[in-house]
Amino acid sequence: MFGKLSWAAVPLHEPIPMITSVVVILILLGVIGWVVAKGHWRYIWDEWITSVDHKRIGIMYILLGAVMLVRGFADAIMMRTQQAAAIGESAGYLPPEHYNQIFSAHGTIMIFFAAMPLVIGMMNYVMPLQLGVRDVAFPTLNSVGFWLTAAGALLVNISLFVGEFARTGWLPYPPLSETTYTPGVGVDYYLWAVQISGIGTLMTGVNLVTTVLKMRAPGMSYLRMPMFCWTTLASNLLIIAVFPILTATLAMLTLDRYFGFHFFTNEAGGNQMMFVNLIWAWGHPEVYILVLPAFGIFSEIFSTFSGKPLFGYRSMVAATLFIVVVSCMVWLHHFFTMGAGPAVNTFFGIASSVIAVGTGVKIYNWIFTMYGGRVRFEVPMLWSMGFLVTFVIGGMTGVLLAIPPADFVTHNSMFLVAHFHNVILGGVVFALFAAIEYWFPKAFGFRLHPGWGKAAFWFAFIGFWVTFTPLYILGLQGMTRRLQHINYPEWAPMLYLSVFGVAILVVGAACQVIQLVVSIRDRDKLRDVTGDPWDGRSMEWATPSPPPMFNFAVIPNVEGEEAYWGIKTRAIETQRLGPEPVYKPIHMPLNSPVGVITAFFASVTGFALIWHIWWLVILGLVCAFAGFVWFAWRDIHEFEIPAEEVARIDRARRAARRAILERLAREQGKPA
Amino acid sequence: MSELDYDPHDLGHDHAPGDEPAESAGHWVMNYSIGLALATILTVGSFILPALGLVWGPSLPVALIVLAIAQMGVHLVFFLHITTGPDNTNNVLALAFGVMMVGLLVIGSIWIMANMHHYMAPMPPEAMTHMQAPAAAPTVPPAF
Amino acid sequence: MSDIVPASAEAVQRVREDPHRLGHRAHGEGAPVMGAGHGETGPANSRIIVGYGFWIFLLSDIVMFSAFFAAYAVLMNATAGGPTGRELFELPRVAIETGCLLLSSFVCGLSFAASVAKNRMWTQIFLLITGLLGAAFLYLEIDEFIGFAAQGATPQRSAFLSAFFSLVGLHGAHVFVGLLWLGTMMAQVQAKGFSRMVQHRLLCFNLFWHALDIIWVALFTVVYLMGAAT
Repeated sequence: MFGKLSWAAVPLHEPIPMITSVVVILILLGVIGWVVAKGHWRYIWDEWITSVDHKRIGIMYILLGAVMLVRGFADAIMMRTQQAAAIGESAGYLPPEHYNQIFSAHGTIMIFFAAMPLVIGMMNYVMPLQLGVRDVAFPTLNSVGFWLTAAGALLVNISLFVGEFARTGWLPYPPLSETTYTPGVGVDYYLWAVQISGIGTLMTGVNLVTTVLKMRAPGMSYLRMPMFCWTTLASNLLIIAVFPILTATLAMLTLDRYFGFHFFTNEAGGNQMMFVNLIWAWGHPEVYILVLPAFGIFSEIFSTFSGKPLFGYRSMVAATLFIVVVSCMVWLHHFFTMGAGPAVNTFFGIASSVIAVGTGVKIYNWIFTMYGGRVRFEVPMLWSMGFLVTFVIGGMTGVLLAIPPADFVTHNSMFLVAHFHNVILGGVVFALFAAIEYWFPKAFGFRLHPGWGKAAFWFAFIGFWVTFTPLYILGLQGMTRRLQHINYPEWAPMLYLSVFGVAILVVGAACQVIQLVVSIRDRDKLRDVTGDPWDGRSMEWATPSPPPMFNFAVIPNVEGEEAYWGIKTRAIETQRLGPEPVYKPIHMPLNSPVGVITAFFASVTGFALIWHIWWLVILGLVCAFAGFVWFAWRDIHEFEIPAEEVARIDRARRAARRAILERLAREQGKPA
Repeated sequence: MSELDYDPHDLGHDHAPGDEPAESAGHWVMNYSIGLALATILTVGSFILPALGLVWGPSLPVALIVLAIAQMGVHLVFFLHITTGPDNTNNVLALAFGVMMVGLLVIGSIWIMANMHHYMAPMPPEAMTHMQAPAAAPTVPPAF
Repeated sequence: MSDIVPASAEAVQRVREDPHRLGHRAHGEGAPVMGAGHGETGPANSRIIVGYGFWIFLLSDIVMFSAFFAAYAVLMNATAGGPTGRELFELPRVAIETGCLLLSSFVCGLSFAASVAKNRMWTQIFLLITGLLGAAFLYLEIDEFIGFAAQGATPQRSAFLSAFFSLVGLHGAHVFVGLLWLGTMMAQVQAKGFSRMVQHRLLCFNLFWHALDIIWVALFTVVYLMGAAT
C-alpha cells in the first residue's frame, strides 16, 4: 500500500534530525496557526498564493531563497565545526553517514533552492519594471514555475524527517549513486526534488526570454535596455539551453535506478563517465546562469551610486553574450583528471581561460564607471566594491584551476572548495544582498536601516576571508574535500581559524536579521515617498514605491538609453511635470490557483515515486492532467481596472513628484 | 492586454513561428504539398540508399546525415514557414542558438568520450600490476 | 511619463558635471526598426508572444533529445554481448512508421490552415486524421518494442539497448502526450469554436507536431538507418 514507506523511515533514534524536524514543524504550525487565528488566510490566498503578479511572485521567490539560504548555512556551520572537531583521536559529533548527507544537502540546497530562487526572484521583480511593461509574457506560467520550485524545496526538506537525503554529493556521480551502492531513498529524493524544480526553472526561462525579446516598451530597442535586462536575457537563454540536459541526465540515472537500465552502471556496457560529461555540460553554464544576473545587478549599482552612466555599455553587452556562448564550451574543466588526452584537455583549458577575458572586460568597465564619478558609499555600493576585490581573486584562482597540469594537483582539494565559494559567495551572494538592499525600498516603500546594513557587510566580508583563506592554504597542503575526519593534527590551526571565520559570518547574518527587524520597526522614518530613493537611472524608479499592480498607468515611450534619467533631467530643467496623460482602463491577468495546485500534485507524485507508491503516482498524474484541462477550459483570463482607478493612483504619484519638484526649486533658489 | 488582440490580417512585420499570415487556403495547401513531396523524396532516398550501393560504404553515414539535414530544412521551410526574412529574425536566431547547443553537446560528448576511451582503454591484468604503487602500510585513524 | 523628478538637488549638479559619456555612442533619433517585438515598436501581439514562447520551449525540448542522442552515440557499441542494432532493426516497419508520421505532419499542417480559415468541419476532420496516423505510429512502435523484448532484447540487457529504448521511447512518449493534447484540442474546438485562446493553442500544437517529425528524421537516420548499415 505504501511502497517502501514505513515507520522505520522516520529517524526517531537520531537526535539532530529529530530535534530539527520538530522545531521546523512547530514553527510551521505556529505560523499557520497565527495566520488562521488572525484571519489573514483569505488575504494570503488571494494576494500571494494565487497571485500571478510578477512582483508578488518575485518576492515569494526571494523569501523561499532566503529561508533555504539559512538552511544551507546551518549545514555549512555543521560541516566546518565537524572538521574542526574531528582531528586525530576525536571522531567529532557527526557520524559519516550523517555528515555525507549534510554536505550533499548543503550543495543541493544552496545551488537549486537558495541561489536559483533568489536570482530568479530578482529577475522576476525587476526586469519587467525596467523594460516598462506590466507583467511577464505568461503570468500564470510564472506562478506555476515558482510553485514547482517550492515543491522541489519541500521534498528536500521532507527528506530530513522521512527517510534520508543523498550521501553522494550535490551531483550524484555513478556508480556510487546506482542502486547497487546506494539502495536507499536518499538519491531518489535528490532526483525528484531537482527534476520538479528544474521544470519550474525551465518554464521561468522560457517566460523571461519571451518577455525580454517580445514585450519591451515602445522605443526600448535592444541597445537601450538596462544592463540587468541584458544579463537576465543571457541567463535565461542559458537556462533554456542547458536545463534540458540536466533533466535528461537525471532521467537516465532515474531509469538506471528504477528499471535497471545500464546508462551509468558498471555492468553491461554502462559508462559512468558519460554521466560526468553530461551533468557538467549543464553544470558549468549553471554557474553563469547564477552569476550573469549578479553582473547585471552590479552594473546597475555601480552606475547609480557613481552618478554616471555605465562605462562601456556596448562592450558589456558583447562580453555578456560572449560568456553565454563560451560558457557552453568549457565543461570538461570539471574533470580534467578523468583521463582525457592532451588534445581535449588543452582545448578545454584554453577555453576556460578565455572565458575570463569576458569577465575581465566587465571588471574594468565597473572600475571605470566609478572613475570620475561622485561615489556614494551606500550599503549596496559597499557590497559591490567588496565583490570587486573578492571576485577578482576568486577569478584568478579559477584561471589557475583551468590549467590542466595545475588542476591535477588541486583537483577536488579544499583549494577548489575555496575557489568556488569565493566566486559564488563573493559574486552571487554579495550581489543578492546588494540587490535586496537596492530594490527593497521599491518593493516595500521604505529603506533598510543603513547602519545595520553596513555592519552586516563588514562582518560578512571579513568573515568570508577568514573562513576561506585557510581553506585555500589547506588545499595547497593536500587536504581533499568532503573529509569527515582529519588525520593530520598540523592542519588543526587552519581549521580552527576557518571556524572562527564562520563565527564572524554568523554575526553578519544576525546583523541582516536585526537590520530587517529594525527597519520594519522604523519604517515611517525610512519611508520612501519619492519612488526614487537612490537617484536611479532606469524605468523602475519612475513608478511609486511600492509600484501599483499595473506598474505603469501609461506604457512609457522610451527615447534613449537610461530612459528614466533622461526624463528626470528634462523635468528638472523645465521645472514642471509633463501634461497629464489620458488614462484608459487596464486589463490585467486574473489570479489563478493552477500553480499551487500543479505543485501540490507534483509534490504528491514526487513523494510517491520516491517511496514506490505506484497507485499514488498514477492518481497524481491523472489529477494533474485533469487540472490542466480544467484550467484550459476557463474563458475569462483578465479583469479590467477602470480608468478612474488608474487615474486616482497615478495622480497620487504625480502629486508626490510635483512636491519634490517644488522643494528642489526652493533649494536651488537659495544662495549657496 | 486586449489591445494586443490577434487580428490575422494585421500581423505587422513580425511572425509567430509557424504562421504565414494573409495567404489564401490554396497557398497553404500548395506549400504543404511541396513540402510533403520533397520530404517523401528525401525519406525514400535515405531508406534505399544503403541497398542501392551507390555510395562507398564508409561514407554512407555522411550521406545519410546530409539527407537528414536536407529533410529537416524542408520541414522547417515548408511546414514551419521559417524563412530568412526580417519578419523571422527572432525565430531564426532562437533556432540557431538551439542548433549550436545541440551541436556542442553531441559533438563535444562524442569527442570527449572517444578520447577518454582511447586513453583509458582497458589493459591486460599483467600491465596493471606494473602500475600499482608498492604496498604501504595503511594509516587508519584511531577513530575508525 | 515625462513628469519624473529626482530625489535630490545633487542630481542636477551631477548631470552638469558628468563629462564622461564614455563608451556610449549616441543613438540619435533614427527611424524605429519596424516589426513588433524587435526594434522599438513596443510589445508584440499575444499570438506572436505565445508562438514565440512555445518555439523556444520546443528548442529546449530538442536540446533534451540531443542529450539522449549523445548518450546513444556513446553507448551505441556497448552491446555487452547482447543483440546489436543490425540484428534487431526491421527497416520496412521503420519505413511505414516514418510514412505515418510524415503524413500526419502534413495533415496537421492542413488542419492548421483550416483553423486559420476558421473552418470548423475541416479542422476537425484533419485533426482526427492527424491523430489516427499518430496512433498508428505509436502502435507500430510499441509492437516493435514488445517484439524486441520477446527476443530478450530488453533495456536491461545492455547499455546500447538502454540508450535505444530511452531515445526512441522518449519520442514515443512525446507522441503520446501530443495525442492527449490533440484530443483535448478537438474537444475545445467543438465546444468553444475558434476563440483567441484556442487559435493560439492550435498554433502551438502545430509547432509541436512538426517538431516531433523533425526529431523523428534525426532518429530514423541515426538510430535505424546507420544502425542497420554499420
